[in-house]
Amino acid sequence: MAIFNILVFPGILFLVAAGLWFEFVDRRMYARMQNRQGPPWFQPLADFIKLLAKETIIPEDANPRLFAAMPVLALTATICAFFYIPLWNTTALFSFQGDAIVVMYLLTIPTMTFFLAGWYSTSLYSTLGAVRSLTQLFAYEIPLFMAVLAPAMLANDWSLAGITKFYAAHPLLALLNLPAFCVAMVTLLGKLEKVPFDIPEAETEIVAGAFTEYAGRHLALFRLAIDIEVIVAGSLVAAIFLPFGLTLPWWLGIIIYLLKITLVVALIAIMRTIMARLRIEQMVNFCWKFLAPAALAQLMINLVVKGFLQP
Amino acid sequence: MGLIQKIVTWARIKSPWVIHFNTGACNACDIEVIDALTPRYDLERFGVQLKGSPRHADVMVVSGPVTRQSRDRLKRIYDQLAEPKFVVAVGTCACSGGVFQGCYNVEGGIDQAIPVHAYIPGCAARPEAIIDGVVKLLSSLDPKPVAAPPAEPVEKEAASA
Repeated sequence: MAIFNILVFPGILFLVAAGLWFEFVDRRMYARMQNRQGPPWFQPLADFIKLLAKETIIPEDANPRLFAAMPVLALTATICAFFYIPLWNTTALFSFQGDAIVVMYLLTIPTMTFFLAGWYSTSLYSTLGAVRSLTQLFAYEIPLFMAVLAPAMLANDWSLAGITKFYAAHPLLALLNLPAFCVAMVTLLGKLEKVPFDIPEAETEIVAGAFTEYAGRHLALFRLAIDIEVIVAGSLVAAIFLPFGLTLPWWLGIIIYLLKITLVVALIAIMRTIMARLRIEQMVNFCWKFLAPAALAQLMINLVVKGFLQP
Repeated sequence: MGLIQKIVTWARIKSPWVIHFNTGACNACDIEVIDALTPRYDLERFGVQLKGSPRHADVMVVSGPVTRQSRDRLKRIYDQLAEPKFVVAVGTCACSGGVFQGCYNVEGGIDQAIPVHAYIPGCAARPEAIIDGVVKLLSSLDPKPVAAPPAEPVEKEAASA
């Protein structure tokens, strides 16, 4: 049963299918908001198969083993993070005290692989993209950690399953985390490298950022990892900030879970439509001037409320 | 043809990513290529996406005659594309050198430097012509015979003053 859970549902196969599907949803919403038709539903799948079947090029100056290992590492880390997140009920596939922090670190690994992939490609554009993605990491990582861990502090539990259990029992307290939800959504745009924070892969400035030298199979795995990262990040936000409908029957729960992911993807698509790309120093300024204080304020609120709640 | 090969061919036809390269065109064909990629023509319906990196692209859209300056760059970009790769020459200059034929600095059409899979003439080539050319190139990947185009609709256009 555990093998089935890991490989098929809600494991790797489900994640791949959901990742490709929600990439389509994102691109379709983007297209409709631009008043055009957009791609057909199989488009991400066709892109993926085509890239798998293309020639794989490794630059002469690159370290071939690291170059080939980075996409696999990114994919593995995102899939691992998924197993600790409760989806449509209050239990995760695996759970222990402190897995909220482990999931956050597992979600940092893809960014590190983007950096290493760009750095070891040794091309100018790749190096620029790599450095940018690391600079961006320093800006969004701390507000994101504070925003995700403030609800954990209020719940007095450091496992994601425990946090969702607490908020499912006290739905009104979940509303208290609204500022942290906003901070988390904005910083997730940075983590997923979506507009307006797609500075590391700015195609009009530095070709394709860290992925410039990647072709064929490696690029396909990187794209899949990014698609799956969207699902994992959406599930994390849904589990922590939207703990509603978790006690319903499983089929209703799954529908509500998919609706929550759709909400997160829709927010990302709307942001992509209405915003332009920021410069890197604007992004860093914004994160440290506004997001970090907002996350700190959330921490203060949760501390005060926790003091009142405890007898 | 095996099942896997069929699936791969299907995916290749459904997802052509293009890179655009100007070898010395007068910019008119470039404007038309950009035009074809705007929301009005919505090429994402067919899976076409403009990519910045030659490593990601399948189809190289080249406009302009090959000048002596740009020939080496053109060859380098072509070598950076991953197999299978296709080249589309957009505009009369890219097909044959056009009005620049015989100039001291012009080599001729794109096929003087790299192999070309589709020629789209026109000065400048219309977006519809570019889309048609790319679709014909992609459908030539499929061994099935291409369906005959529908008969020309008879249009009675009022002579505008």
